[in-house]
Amino acid sequence: MALLAPYSKIPELNTATILLVENEEKVQSKLADAIVQREKDVNVNVRLACKLPLPVENSETRPRVDLVVFIVNLLSERSLQVVENSLNHLRSDFFLGKVCFMVTDARCGALAQERLLSVKKLAASHRCPVICAEHQTEDGISMAASRLLTVLKVSAGLSPVATTALYLSTLTRCTVPSELDED
Amino acid sequence: MNEEARAILQRVLRRLPSRKTQSTLRAWGCLSAQQLEDLDYTQPKWLLLENLISKCEESRLHLKDVTKLDMVYHIENPNQGTWHAFKLTEAEDEALSVDFTQFKEMFVAHLEEVVQHVSIRIKKLEDGAVWIRIAWGDNFTKPNHLKPTYAVHYLQTPYVFILNLAAKHKPFVYQALVLSTRHVSINEAHLTGRSLTAMRDLLMKQYQQVFPNQERTLKERNAPPSHPNIDKEHAEFAERTHQMACEAFGDGTVPKLETAVYKLETRYRGSNNNTLSDRDELFRGVVRFSSPNLLESLRHCVSTGMAEGPVTPLLSSITQKGRNYFVIAEKVPGATSQTPAHKT
Amino acid sequence: MMGKRDVQIYFRLNWRLLAMEGRVSSAVNTPANMPMTRRKSYGRSCVENPSLFWQTPGHFPALGHRIPSSRGAARSRNVLSKVDPEQVALLVKHEWKLAYVTPLYRFRHTQLKLYSKHLTAFIIAEKQQGVAIEVGVEAGFKVTISTILGMAESEDDAETIFIQIHSKPTFGAEALKLVWRGWLTCVNGDREYLRSLPPDFVSLPLFCSSGSESLTALVRSWFERTFDCNFGSLFLNSTTLNWLAALWTGCHPSSNIRFLKLTWTMPTQPSLDIMYTVNPQDAWELWNSIHTEDSADDRIHIDEVQQFMNGLETHLFRHFKIYLSAGTLMKVSTSLGSAHHEGKIKIGSSDYISTLLTLLTECALLRTPV
Repeated sequence: MALLAPYSKIPELNTATILLVENEEKVQSKLADAIVQREKDVNVNVRLACKLPLPVENSETRPRVDLVVFIVNLLSERSLQVVENSLNHLRSDFFLGKVCFMVTDARCGALAQERLLSVKKLAASHRCPVICAEHQTEDGISMAASRLLTVLKVSAGLSPVATTALYLSTLTRCTVPSELDED
Repeated sequence: MNEEARAILQRVLRRLPSRKTQSTLRAWGCLSAQQLEDLDYTQPKWLLLENLISKCEESRLHLKDVTKLDMVYHIENPNQGTWHAFKLTEAEDEALSVDFTQFKEMFVAHLEEVVQHVSIRIKKLEDGAVWIRIAWGDNFTKPNHLKPTYAVHYLQTPYVFILNLAAKHKPFVYQALVLSTRHVSINEAHLTGRSLTAMRDLLMKQYQQVFPNQERTLKERNAPPSHPNIDKEHAEFAERTHQMACEAFGDGTVPKLETAVYKLETRYRGSNNNTLSDRDELFRGVVRFSSPNLLESLRHCVSTGMAEGPVTPLLSSITQKGRNYFVIAEKVPGATSQTPAHKT
Repeated sequence: MMGKRDVQIYFRLNWRLLAMEGRVSSAVNTPANMPMTRRKSYGRSCVENPSLFWQTPGHFPALGHRIPSSRGAARSRNVLSKVDPEQVALLVKHEWKLAYVTPLYRFRHTQLKLYSKHLTAFIIAEKQQGVAIEVGVEAGFKVTISTILGMAESEDDAETIFIQIHSKPTFGAEALKLVWRGWLTCVNGDREYLRSLPPDFVSLPLFCSSGSESLTALVRSWFERTFDCNFGSLFLNSTTLNWLAALWTGCHPSSNIRFLKLTWTMPTQPSLDIMYTVNPQDAWELWNSIHTEDSADDRIHIDEVQQFMNGLETHLFRHFKIYLSAGTLMKVSTSLGSAHHEGKIKIGSSDYISTLLTLLTECALLRTPV
């Protein structure tokens, strides 16, 4: 099985590529529109996928992926399952600051809280940040887009501030209170 | 106008939405154009009913005429109540040459022969559907027009759809149908639903079907990304699953079924570890799928990846076999199952 | 009024203090102080958003500790020996809409008569907006608030109170008509939490109502004004419904559950409902093969519950290839009762009522913003 690798291709000038993985394909297209419309300085490519691995046919045309975002819809167990399975199809060097999780519906009263906890544990064990997003309003989507762009620019090495993805990830990664690990 | 006629009139009027009242009364054709003009359809229904009754008495209408209105109502609103589909089998040679007059005469004759008090009304519509209304009585009572059975048959097809048929009347209707259509037997088709047209379309395959080797016409459905910088990695895959879903459940507007029921008597196929694996008995349960439009829901379910492909024969049998009730029984050595095995 | 506010503020500060302490103590985490942190996990500050999730990556309070991972198997308790059968009958067979309630301030079980009068006056006043109402005149409505003694299981539980609203016909001597009923209860509420409440507070976290929405809203707003509490809708998430499915199935040998019915809704267009009715004996045998009754105190672990539900879901998946996990478990029902995702329950039999109410009390406490 070919793993998706972060450094197998040469980066293009002033270009960053973000891969949005979401099983339900509900939020990703809205988010993709917001991302490409928001960014004016950098050429941002958005790749949409419902799961990993990605189809082999596209591997030639696919640019180097700088950031993988796993979108988990907290109301669906399947959403989490697909993400868990997808993680195995990334090369480990992606986890040095080039992966993040985004959860939706975290405020919903009907939420099974265990699921949010599972996402947090998953993210913490992979040293990745978790971003909570509001997907029902335009403001929420554009806020989520801007947060992803910030991370993306760092992970693609385009940030003018001397920040590396590895450094950023140590600051933003999700941590779960230590007593929970003992369960 | 007796009490029963009044009751029927009242019931039909109550069910009719106000805006459709006039057109239904016109389709009935028992009142003159002037009488229809005179009625005020914006009145409250109880008042309209009184006026309607007086018009009927003016025209000396009888119970017979009112039952005709009941039939008109059902023809215009075939989605009231649950229809059951039946299939005639083993057609005799003459079956193809039975025409409407012949069918009508024979059906009435056969039914009146075995049931003493029965009132039958038969009408053929322009689309070829033969509508039959049967009000049942018995040796001592007059036919009950408040609980009629309706049957719809398309001549030269094996399909009959029946509404409100009591078990005790079943053999009479079966026999009359079989004899008058020149068939040998009739069976339940295991298809029920509220929509008569949907059931007809499903059984007669009158909906947009998609076949495996068909030229791909679905491409335009997959909208291209809205921006040149956005690419869908799984576009090809999504198209394939959509094609698969359409092959199983049809494309475009599909027949509007509401439910599908599976009675499962199969071996437990749960978890991989050893729970119940050494068990001989079958794991029994009933699975009921329901939706305002079942086939559309299932198509969406498959095409969005909520189901794993290929589509299981259990689900595709709904369209393939035109059924929505299945008994899935597994043969077990040693244990005898009561139900006839039907394993797809 | 002033005094009341003071106490409330004191209460909040008190909790913040505890919460801070909790964070300090979690740094030195030894098994010995685990019960301490658990107690404090309830003691988050009021000013935090109740949904907990507004903060993005960092810490969130010890959520996991609030969700128990095992509980006692459902045991038939003869409720009727403790509680008046007529009163139990009031709870059975109706569909109840659930809500959570924050602790009631200065609520006294001894004052129910007075509360009845005030609530009656309040409802009438709200119904005839703007007209002055004299307390004690019962025109149109009559409210009765009573205690259902014996529902409480532990000594920390407050006794259940039951509210009935009758409408009075304006003319004639027609009988009163029962138009609304509701109750507040606490069964086996978390002991640490209940004991940590300041003395003037009574916790009856679970509110069940049956009747018109408008009356429910009036009753809620009267309670909120009178006892400075808050109501919020209570959903039953899949974990709770899974627990119920397993607990009820476990009862089958002693009390025939007749069927185990599970309903999922798939987010298709239009939405698809999948209802799976399992033969009770087969469901129990599956449960029995997963759950082993080894110890004297018959504990059920969440893993067993998960395994049981996964087993049923996988069985269906092998037939229909539909990922039920993409949908939502909406409803679980047996002849012992039913529970709906949107916070609606029906109690089918009084036998296992305390098991059900224990679970629901816990859900209500989990949802209660502290």
